[in-house]
Amino acid sequence: MLRASLKTHPEPSTSDALATIVAEATPSGHAGISVVRLSGASALTIAQGVAGRISKPRHAYFRSLKTASGRVFDQGVVLYFQAPNSFTGEDVVEFQGHGGPIVVSTLIQTCVEMGAKMARPGEFSERAFLNDKMDLVQLEGVADLIASASEQAAKSALGSLTGVFSKAVNALVTSVIELRIYIEASIDFPEEEIDFLAEPFVLERITRIDAQLQQILKQAEQGRRLQAGFSIALVGSPNAGKSSVLNRFSGQDSAIVTAIPGTTRDVIREQLLLDGYPIQIADTAGIREAMDAIEQEGIARSRQTALMADLCLWIIDVTALDLTPLNLCRSVLEQNLIAAQAGLFEDDATVKRLVVLNKMDLLPETMQRALSDLLAGDSHTFLVSAKTGLGWDHLASGIKQMVGVGDDSESLFSARTRHIVALTEAAQYLTQAKKSLLAGLPGELMAEDLKQVQIALGEITGQVTSDDLLGKIFSSFCIGK
Amino acid sequence: MQETFDVIVVGGGHAGSEAALAAARMGAETLLVTQNIETLGQMSCNPAIGGIGKSHLVREIDALGGVMAEAADAAGIHFRVLNARKGPAVRATRAQTDRQLYKQFIRARLENQPRLRIFQQSVDDLVVEGDRVVGVVTQMQQRFMARSVILTVGTFLGGIIHVGLNQQSGGRAGDSASNRLADRLRELPFAVGRLKTGTPPRVDARSVDFSTLTPQPGDQPTPKMSFWSADGCHPEQVPCYITHTTEKTHDIIRAGLDRSPLYSGVIDGIGPRYCPSIEDKIVRFADKTAHQIFIEPEGLNTHELYPNGISTSLPYDVQVELLRSIPGFESAHITRPGYAIEYDYFEPKELKSSLETKHLNGLFFAGQINGTTGYEEAGAQGILAGINAVLQARGDPAWSPARSEAYIGVLVDDLITLGTLEPYRMFTSRAEYRLILRQDNADQRLCAAARTFGLLSDEQFEAFEQKQEAIESLKGEMKSALVFAGNAAVDAVLSEPMHKEYRLSELIKRPEVNLPDLLKAAGRPLPESEVIEQVEIEFKYQGYIDRQTQEISRLKAQQGLAIPLDLDYSSISGLSNEVRQKLAQVKPENIGQAGRISGVTPAAVSLLLVHLKRKGGLTKRAAAI
Repeated sequence: MLRASLKTHPEPSTSDALATIVAEATPSGHAGISVVRLSGASALTIAQGVAGRISKPRHAYFRSLKTASGRVFDQGVVLYFQAPNSFTGEDVVEFQGHGGPIVVSTLIQTCVEMGAKMARPGEFSERAFLNDKMDLVQLEGVADLIASASEQAAKSALGSLTGVFSKAVNALVTSVIELRIYIEASIDFPEEEIDFLAEPFVLERITRIDAQLQQILKQAEQGRRLQAGFSIALVGSPNAGKSSVLNRFSGQDSAIVTAIPGTTRDVIREQLLLDGYPIQIADTAGIREAMDAIEQEGIARSRQTALMADLCLWIIDVTALDLTPLNLCRSVLEQNLIAAQAGLFEDDATVKRLVVLNKMDLLPETMQRALSDLLAGDSHTFLVSAKTGLGWDHLASGIKQMVGVGDDSESLFSARTRHIVALTEAAQYLTQAKKSLLAGLPGELMAEDLKQVQIALGEITGQVTSDDLLGKIFSSFCIGK
Repeated sequence: MQETFDVIVVGGGHAGSEAALAAARMGAETLLVTQNIETLGQMSCNPAIGGIGKSHLVREIDALGGVMAEAADAAGIHFRVLNARKGPAVRATRAQTDRQLYKQFIRARLENQPRLRIFQQSVDDLVVEGDRVVGVVTQMQQRFMARSVILTVGTFLGGIIHVGLNQQSGGRAGDSASNRLADRLRELPFAVGRLKTGTPPRVDARSVDFSTLTPQPGDQPTPKMSFWSADGCHPEQVPCYITHTTEKTHDIIRAGLDRSPLYSGVIDGIGPRYCPSIEDKIVRFADKTAHQIFIEPEGLNTHELYPNGISTSLPYDVQVELLRSIPGFESAHITRPGYAIEYDYFEPKELKSSLETKHLNGLFFAGQINGTTGYEEAGAQGILAGINAVLQARGDPAWSPARSEAYIGVLVDDLITLGTLEPYRMFTSRAEYRLILRQDNADQRLCAAARTFGLLSDEQFEAFEQKQEAIESLKGEMKSALVFAGNAAVDAVLSEPMHKEYRLSELIKRPEVNLPDLLKAAGRPLPESEVIEQVEIEFKYQGYIDRQTQEISRLKAQQGLAIPLDLDYSSISGLSNEVRQKLAQVKPENIGQAGRISGVTPAAVSLLLVHLKRKGGLTKRAAAI
């Protein structure tokens, strides 16, 4: 037999070809100084775009940090670590700037605009590990870190998409998929009388999607600036003790606390720090069958606030529940809770909530113990007394867990930055798609741009595979000669 | 008496022909065993080659020295370019062929191929030694031994043909099924499934009233399918025709559904969603009042027609009635009834990217046996299996193009990574690097590899190299040549006149400019059209192409990292059971493939990387993306 010698392909080196990644290296939310790390072959180039010329490794440069458009948004120390003498073994630049979430987010976004990708949770450690920068003891922890961090990230990626925002993003994704069904069907099945590429219909759709996307981006950006952190809404029936809960959080009497139901008519907002992480708490009017018009208006606002919040604390007066030592069991408690929550969120499962059973100090001690036992291991229901502070630490750590504060894993805040990065990228590709449509370029280019829009949005909602898309085409059109 | 070969190919359809020719061209002593020499290169379904996604495969087979494109050129009696205006990447060529001419061309190529021998006999068994296949046993107990065996048995494994509620064993109308081999393979550790496909009734053209049909002529000038075909390679060109079903047709079908094997539960096999039978279309899209039928001539010297779009397994009397309710077919005579066929296929996740089975070394599967449909998909797998059967016999490393290199790579990677539940067909939307996998540049993507394997002749490779040189030189000229403001001839092809000097490479990027006009205006000579086409695309698509190329090289570094086939997935900490099971089923060859398995998350891939690193099993390899 003949023997042909096989051409050998050059072996690419791992570190050169990987994307340059960026993320906050300090746990987010901590006040004071935060560190943003950039790692990869283009780290230095990108850093110079943000902070001006940097040449000497391991030298502290004090610099103004600028956005891509040249706006100064912070001042800080910039350190360059040349490969392989860095944390990851790649070229690394660390920015030490002010710790505010907006500053950090702006810095990350600027780096992304200049070509970096947002790091996956644990990705710095993963690279360090793969580049032999960690010893055996550290190695053991890496796998655990990746597993737990990404699980948390997946949770908060979805979790931060609450209420209105989540609906808007999902509606956007649906519009993009619908458009792509037509475009891809007209490409793969040109003889099926579904040639939409040339129709004004496509431009109209793209324009509509663009408007949707810009609206969401505006909301997302605004929401981030207004709240600058995690928002919690206090809801519950009148006089369940919501205002006392607010006061317990803020440590001052900001809401009027009286025993007359319906005292809080408007939404009262309070900014505070939970372990250094900014949180906005909104106290709402009590939910009940309101008779007077002002109160009805107040309740409508409560509902709106609750839907917009990242987390709802449903405050329930525990003494009002039908609990006797005789019928105290899990199912009865649950029935009670469902009954107590009826009315506000039945139609919206996307609202994240914790149930707070308030006024435990008014229960007999035996009942307190029995209830505590019943709730052991339940991370969504808490027994507290806002007045005395009983059970408060437990609730606070429950909230922190939902927020991801002080955890090594990805926080809700960085999940949100991730969303804005993804939306911005989607918007760029959409603009490109529109441009190529208007310029009369071949339809396949617009199709490619729309695919990139979908991939960018997939970072938020999960990717749509080509097989998924084909499935939708087959169920939408009668394909096949 | 026992003869020994390097490679044995079982089956002489589109996969088998390409496999046998490729193996023999690479220098392997090859035996092709077929049930019937008369049916070598037979088109069992419609008489057409190419189409969207499919002509991309044909051009790749062609660039690898395969036969399909040249046969289509020699037998093509009607050519069309599809998606002409949607861009070069999704543009496709389709040829209606004369069945007889096609078959003759394939058979002649097979019979004249040095080192290839043909033998007519049904194969009943494989010779297995340990975990290795070493030969085949024919119906009359003749043994042939080989280092590798390729099965390309199409729909013949356990084939059952349905017309109405009647059913009979068969591999195709008029040919018997391979039941002994099917039974034997079912004893081996392969996962078996059932698929279904079908054909429409064929019609005598003399009984059709063409005056009511819409003629559809082929494109002028007639396009070519092959890189290597000479001008004037085509026979006489004829038109196709279009008609539609009517409400009456749909009523007749609805009334016949109780005797449909599809709707009475007789057929278990899963049919393709993109190629449904007419009864399926009427049930699933009840509100559509008419379905298009594309009337394809079967050849130049026959009256038979292939009415594409009414594939059916309804009883014969219903077929006659429904056909006669279609305009132009009022007194149609059926020459061959339509039928559905169910057949065995094997879970393609049990294949390596070389198309060798993971269970038995030296055994390769190609074509419908892997759950695909279509001549082009079959041919693509055939040539790949042929190449790898030879590499395996020589002890050389396997070869399979990456997803970023060829539709063949997309096809194989989809099959072995995701498996398939319905007959798998290629679509351009399956290719994530669609803009660079064009039918016009299949030679640039694959000829170099083909040459290394010995699949291309000296003349072919020389022609390829000359074209590449011409492309590079035109690109170079365009990057250096300046055109100055005030050049009226050039301004005439621009929508806005020039205010300063420009390079031709800059001007060509303007959407309104095309390269032949620009070259003419700039007073430059025009090279041949294939060269102009390449250069024009490369400049106009540069931004998109650069982006995809960068992504590919970035992914290649990480995704090409090889994973040992015997990796114990249960020993990897942190993976969920579901992910573990999926990985263990597919046994991905590299990190990239692992990441493409449905349900395997980026985090799971990271864990896999970390595990491999810890075990010291991480070796770099530039491979499939």
